[in-house]
Amino acid sequence: MLMSQYAVELCTLLIEDNFGELFARIFTVLQRYERLPFAKLKFHSRLTDRQLRHGLTAMIQHHLVFHFTSLEDNNTYYESNPNAAYYLVRSGKILNLVEDRLGEYAARIMETVMFLGHASVTHLETLPQLRSLNLPTTNGTTDPNEETQDNEMEVEDGPVQTNGDHAPEEFKPAPLHATLKALASHGYLMRVRDASFQSPADNFLEAQRVASSRPGNKALKGKRQQEAIEGDTQSLLQERLHADLSETLMVNGLPRGIKRKWANAASGSTNEPRLANGVNGNGTHAGEDDEENDWSEDEDGFDNVPMEAGMVVRVNYEKLDVALRNDRFVSLAEQQAPPATTRVYESLLRRIEYNTTKCRDKTDIPREGEEGSLYSQPIPADNLLRDIDPHMDLSGAFAPLDSSSQLVNGRGKRPLENGINGDHDDANEDEENGTNRAWEINQHLNLLSQAPYNLTVCVELYGSAQWQINFRGLARKLRHLELERMIESRYGDVALRVIRVLHAKGKLDEKRLQEISFLPWKDLRQTLSSMQAGGYVDLQEVPKDAQRQPSKTIFLWYYDPDRVVGSVLEDTYKAMSRTIQRIKVERNRLKDFLEKTERSDVKGHEEEYLTDEELELLQRWKDKEALLLGEVARLDDMVAVFRDY
Amino acid sequence: MSRFAKGKRQPGAEFTWDADPGGEPDTAPTPLYPTLGFSSPLSPALDLEFLSTMIQRSSYSTQAYVVPWARKLTPKDQNAVDHYRHLREQFQEGPFYSVLDSSSSSAKKGSAARANFDSFTGMPTFSGRYQKKRRTLPRIDTNANQHEFSLKFFPRELWQTIQPSYRPDAAIDGWEPGMATSGVKRGFEDEEDEGDEPNKKRATGGDDEEGGDDADDGELLDEEEGQEEWEEDDNYEDDEDELGGDYNAEQYFDGGDDEFGDDGFGDGGGGGEDEL
Repeated sequence: MLMSQYAVELCTLLIEDNFGELFARIFTVLQRYERLPFAKLKFHSRLTDRQLRHGLTAMIQHHLVFHFTSLEDNNTYYESNPNAAYYLVRSGKILNLVEDRLGEYAARIMETVMFLGHASVTHLETLPQLRSLNLPTTNGTTDPNEETQDNEMEVEDGPVQTNGDHAPEEFKPAPLHATLKALASHGYLMRVRDASFQSPADNFLEAQRVASSRPGNKALKGKRQQEAIEGDTQSLLQERLHADLSETLMVNGLPRGIKRKWANAASGSTNEPRLANGVNGNGTHAGEDDEENDWSEDEDGFDNVPMEAGMVVRVNYEKLDVALRNDRFVSLAEQQAPPATTRVYESLLRRIEYNTTKCRDKTDIPREGEEGSLYSQPIPADNLLRDIDPHMDLSGAFAPLDSSSQLVNGRGKRPLENGINGDHDDANEDEENGTNRAWEINQHLNLLSQAPYNLTVCVELYGSAQWQINFRGLARKLRHLELERMIESRYGDVALRVIRVLHAKGKLDEKRLQEISFLPWKDLRQTLSSMQAGGYVDLQEVPKDAQRQPSKTIFLWYYDPDRVVGSVLEDTYKAMSRTIQRIKVERNRLKDFLEKTERSDVKGHEEEYLTDEELELLQRWKDKEALLLGEVARLDDMVAVFRDY
Repeated sequence: MSRFAKGKRQPGAEFTWDADPGGEPDTAPTPLYPTLGFSSPLSPALDLEFLSTMIQRSSYSTQAYVVPWARKLTPKDQNAVDHYRHLREQFQEGPFYSVLDSSSSSAKKGSAARANFDSFTGMPTFSGRYQKKRRTLPRIDTNANQHEFSLKFFPRELWQTIQPSYRPDAAIDGWEPGMATSGVKRGFEDEEDEGDEPNKKRATGGDDEEGGDDADDGELLDEEEGQEEWEEDDNYEDDEDELGGDYNAEQYFDGGDDEFGDDGFGDGGGGGEDEL
């Protein structure tokens, strides 16, 4: 795959950061020369035979290198897999997401699979770190979140274990298979197929070759033959690459292992404060709490049939992109809607996620205006009713029911007198029946479907309102918001206005632009020229006569989001790789000290061996590195918006 | 505007030593660049203090380039970063992390590694035994690793790396064109095949010449050549290990590890601390 300079640099740095220089060298050579047989690779990389063999083996294990054995000359060709390299940067986010949704243990399984590249189920069974639920916490993680989470896990597992207390926790058998199933049915893990070790192009060519050599296709001629071959190729490709485990493992269209928070909410006293938070509408924090530990193995006693033993699994990044994108939509909704609405939206998106395998059909970034529209599967509001916590206050965001006139506008603005009526409302709530809640959910979703974001789309199907998401439209929205945010922070609000005018109206000459945007000449010219220097807007000349005299030429300003996205994407790659290089530089400065902290006797006993100052220095280094890595992660968010969603 | 205008000195005159004996040369950037906002011309008196204040007031600061500050990490960000670091640490501790340049005194004479050897910090020291060691070769060893390698996912030429007992000359039949149509062209043959083939080959040495195509022969030769090279490599290393070789400074202290452990001699320091 051809990639730009900075993207390659970034991937190489990521590999070096995670796997060391040997991998990075092999990767760079494969990137530079594309596809190479072993001998050539050895020649270009100047590595020894042994280094190269071991390196390649390990890299194939981690899917960083594709290989393909040609049947014509029996040579094996190696090719780099930059996607896998890039996803290394997203690993933190992915683990975070899995931990949020399915709990700490699931995240640990995920981490192990990432660490191993791919692993068979039987092999996972043997690993010591997956045997018990509780991690022997040797990794001095700084955040207190993790500990509380562990505790919560214990609380939730209480009913399963007869004694279920702190003493035997280390030897508690872990629900490996159940968790694996949950991960697989969510689509986060997928099966490893032979074809997934070959590059997409190789797979395509091979499928095409097989398809064209089929006797049925050979008999055909001309256009019909071509069509038949194309169809066969696609079906073969699908058959060979099909690795999705979620369909077979779903129960009633839902993945296993999701647990509804409210099932416990009635009984468990620990959940009460959380619930209160949700009602108070304590914003995002309550939401995060709600998400945690969404899973435990005893969910309606779901079956103990183990996973197919010989199955080899790996991480399904495409599906995880879908989940991450949905998170992004939720945060967009948070900006414009009350918390209860956001919760409703979240459960809608969750439902939709189960039916969405990837973000886009095509791999290349769609051009502006040519995205078409890709709608998700419509979900009826009744289905959401079961997902949403019945104790959650859905009506709080609306005007009181009895004043029907205010309901019509449905803007979710609470009128003033509502404060007085509040008690009355709450009293009514208990008597509300299901249909009422369904109506409320519809109202919430209706609110979300309003401009400017149009987060949901309503369709009438089978006589009832169903809700879906316009993925392409929303992805475009995200892209524009990101660009506008960037332009505003660089060139100010005048520039933002100009850009919006240009985007809405197309190409404009300066006079028209000034008339439309109501800006003084001076400001307008200044921002336009500085934005042109930055590559955000551009100028087109339309000469009136053949001489192309400037006085007789019309100059049109325009703003091409595609071009801007392209260049911003490159800039982002560059910024990411510079940031990672910065980490290296900072690390080098403290090299001696950091090597001391990594000594085998010091590591894990930092308090014992290091002085107070050194501890402080270590903490400062960790914070600094975290800040830089966090910055890389944020830049990665931008890349995701521009490239993946 | 220009600092040359005021004192009516020749351009470059400030660089001559006699013009301003003992003075610092003016290395400040030309005030004409960037053009914005520089008003007070530099005086010919060029002491450092003055310069620094000038630079502070000069166009670079008046242009007010706002250095963007990163937002603080949210708990979610922090959590993601911690996950990333944890995974990275696992990778780095894992069997695959390997660096390229490990120059040591025991490197082959005349090799690049030897030339890069740093004689100041490179010598092994006693405290160096705790130092983190980086491997130079990913460790592919199914028994010792957490990793599990299933041969069918790897190209044939790497099989021997994964499983040293595997003999590639057994695999000639596996590449018969008949395999082509099915998707399992790299598929691993049954255990029987693998066990039988070498014997058969050795027993009927001439079979290949009769049966095999020319092309296949060529392949076979290549394979074997590669194989020999390989074995030479291996043997060479083995020899070194078996014979004990020359004095190996790298293992000077490593070799002693066990002894320390056994007789408790090495625990002396640690023991002392415990008593304290």
